[in-house]
Amino acid sequence: MEVFLSSYGAAIVQMALAGVLALSLYLPLMAGQLSLASPGFYAVGGYTAALLSTTVFTGYANGSYPIPLIVVEMVIAGGVSALFALIIGIPSLRLRGIYLALATIAFIEILRVFALNQPWLGGAVGIYNIPQPFFSATRIEYLLLALPLLFGAMFFVARLERSRVGRAFIALREDELAASAMGVRPTYYKVLAFTLGAVLAGMAGALNAHILNTWNARQGTFDLSILILAYVLVGGSRTFLGPVIGGAFLVALPEIILREIAGAPGLNPVIATFLRDGRLILFGVLIAVSVFFFPYGLITPELFKRRRKKPEKVTVEAAKPTPNVRGGNL
Amino acid sequence: MKLTDQSSQQYRRLWWFASRGLAAVAAVLLIAAVIGAPSGLQNLFNGLAIGGVYAIFALGYTLIFSILRIINFAHGAIFTLGAYFTYFLTGAAVGFNGLLANQKLPFGLPFPLAMIGGGILAGLCGIFIERVAFRPLRNKGADPLLTLVSSLGVAVAIVNIIQLLVGAEIYSYPRNPFGEMPAALNLGNFGGLTARPIIIRTIQVIIFGVSMVTVVLLTYFINGTKTGKALRAVAEDATTSSLLGINTNRLILITFFLSGLVGGIAGTLVGLSVNVSGPYFGINFGLKGLAVIVLGGLGDIPGAVVGGLVIGVAESFVPSEYVAYKEAIAFAVLFVVLLLRPQGLLGRVVVQKV
Repeated sequence: MEVFLSSYGAAIVQMALAGVLALSLYLPLMAGQLSLASPGFYAVGGYTAALLSTTVFTGYANGSYPIPLIVVEMVIAGGVSALFALIIGIPSLRLRGIYLALATIAFIEILRVFALNQPWLGGAVGIYNIPQPFFSATRIEYLLLALPLLFGAMFFVARLERSRVGRAFIALREDELAASAMGVRPTYYKVLAFTLGAVLAGMAGALNAHILNTWNARQGTFDLSILILAYVLVGGSRTFLGPVIGGAFLVALPEIILREIAGAPGLNPVIATFLRDGRLILFGVLIAVSVFFFPYGLITPELFKRRRKKPEKVTVEAAKPTPNVRGGNL
Repeated sequence: MKLTDQSSQQYRRLWWFASRGLAAVAAVLLIAAVIGAPSGLQNLFNGLAIGGVYAIFALGYTLIFSILRIINFAHGAIFTLGAYFTYFLTGAAVGFNGLLANQKLPFGLPFPLAMIGGGILAGLCGIFIERVAFRPLRNKGADPLLTLVSSLGVAVAIVNIIQLLVGAEIYSYPRNPFGEMPAALNLGNFGGLTARPIIIRTIQVIIFGVSMVTVVLLTYFINGTKTGKALRAVAEDATTSSLLGINTNRLILITFFLSGLVGGIAGTLVGLSVNVSGPYFGINFGLKGLAVIVLGGLGDIPGAVVGGLVIGVAESFVPSEYVAYKEAIAFAVLFVVLLLRPQGLLGRVVVQKV
C-alpha cells in the first residue's frame, strides 16, 4: 500500500480533478455549446487561490495551512471564475459551433499572455510556495478535498440533468430554434451553462494550486483544452458519468503505461524504452482510435437503460449527436 | 448558416455604413501612422515578411476547411514536420538525443531543393493523416467534432514521435542557405521620408518572396487548372460534384497534400527566420493560424492571404515596451473579429436555413 500510494497518490488526486474539469466542459456541451474555455477558468481559479493564500490569508505557525481556508478560497475562486464567465460568455455565446470554440481558444491564449507578463501574478515564474495543509509526499490526503468536490459536482450535474434547467439545456442542444419557440430563452440558458462550467473549473484550479504548490501561466493552456475535450469525448458526452470516467481513465493511462507495463519484468528492452519515452505517442493514437471505435464515448446512456428495463430496441439514432453539438451549421 | 442572432434589416444597413466608415478612417489612420512613425516603414516590411508566412500557413487550414468544413488541428504538427524534413534533406545530422542520434542522410540537397522536398514530404504526411484520421470517420458518417479530436490525437502522436526520434534540441539551418549574400539590405531613407535608413534582413526578403510565389502558384492551381476547377466544385457541393463524376476522395487527398505542402514550406521559412525550436515548434503557430483564417473568413482563400498579412503587420507595430504582449495580438484580433464580423473581412453573410 505504501509503495502504491507513493507512486500513484498524486495521480489519484489528479484523476478526481480531471473528472471535475471534464464536467466543466460537459456543462456547456449539455446546452449544445462547444466551449474550450475551461482551462482559462481553471487558471483564473488557481491564481485566485495562489494570491489569497500567499498574501491575504495566513496559515498556522507551524507552516501548515487550515483546510477551511482552502474551502473558502475555492468558493471565492468559483465566484471570480463566474464573473469572468459572464463577461466572456454574454458576448461570445452568440457564436455557434466551431466559432465559439475558436473564441474560447482566443480567450485562454490572451489570458495566458496576460498572466505571463503581470509582475503581481509572478510573471513567467508564477506564484510559488503556496502553503500546504498536508505534509506527506504522496499528497493522497488531498483526496479529502478533491473527492467531495468531484462527488459534489457529479451530484449537482446529475440532479441538474433531471431539473427544469437541465431539460432546457438539452432542449437547446437538440434544436435551438424549436426550444426558443417553446419559450426557452437561448442566451440565458447558454450563459448559465457556461458559467456553471466555469465555476467548476475555477474550483478545480484553486485546489490544484495548493496541490502543485506553485501556479504559473503554463497551467491553463490550449493543451489542457484538448485534453479535457478528449476526457469528455472518450468518456462519452451524453451522460455525466462519461466525462468523469473518461477523465480518470485518460489521466491514469500514461501513469499505468509508465509504471506497470513498461516496468514489467521480462519485457523486451526496446519495447520497454518505447513505452517509457513514447507513451504520449500511444496516448495520441489511442485518442484517435477510440474516437473511431467508440464514437459516442465509452459510457452511453444506453448502457444503463439496458440494465434497468427489459431490453428494448436501442437505435443508434437516439445516441447520435445533434447538428448543434457537431459544430454543424457551418 | 447564421452566425449571430441579430437580423433586423435597419440595424444591418446602419451597421453597413458604420463599418465601411470605420474601415476607411482606420485605413487612413493606419497609412498615416506607417509613414509618420519613427520606424513605420521598417515595421511594415518586417510585418509583411512574417505575414507572408502566416498567409501560406493559414492557406493550409483554409483549403481543408473549404472542402470538408473541418479544421485540421494537426496542421501545426505538419508545419513542424516540414521544418525538420528540410533540415535533414540538407544533409545535416541529428543531435545527440533521441533514437536517431547523430544519424544523417548520405546526401545533402541544396537548400531551395531541400525546402521543396521538405514541403513534399510534409504533404505526404498530410495524405497519411487524411487516410488514418479523417477518411475512416468520414466513411462512418461521424460527427465532425470527432474528426477534430482524432486530428488532435494524431497531432499529439506526431509531436511525440519527433521528440522520440530526434530529441527536443534546437536545430538551425546552415548559414547562407541561398549562397553568399549580404546579411541585410539598406534601402536608404526614401529621400527623407523616414527619419532613419531602412535596413531589412535579406532573409526576410527571401521569406516574403517565397511565400508570395507560393500564394501565386497555389492560386493558379486552383483557378487555372482542371483539377483546381474540380476542387472548387467539391468545395461548392461535394454531393453534386461526385454525382457529376468527380472523384471526391481523390480530390480530398490532393487537398491534404497541398495543405501539407504549404504548411511544410511555412515551417521551413519560420525555421530560416528564427530556429527550429523543438517538437513544439508548431503549436503556437498553429493557434495563430486559426486567428488568420477567422480574420479572413473561414474557407476563404484570398481572405487567408489578407488576414495573414494584416496580422503580421499588426504584430510588428507593437511598441517595443509592450513587446511581451505581441503574442496576444492575433488572439485579440480573433476575439474581436468573431464578435463583430464572424464571417471575416472578405466573407459574406450566409443566412441560415432552418
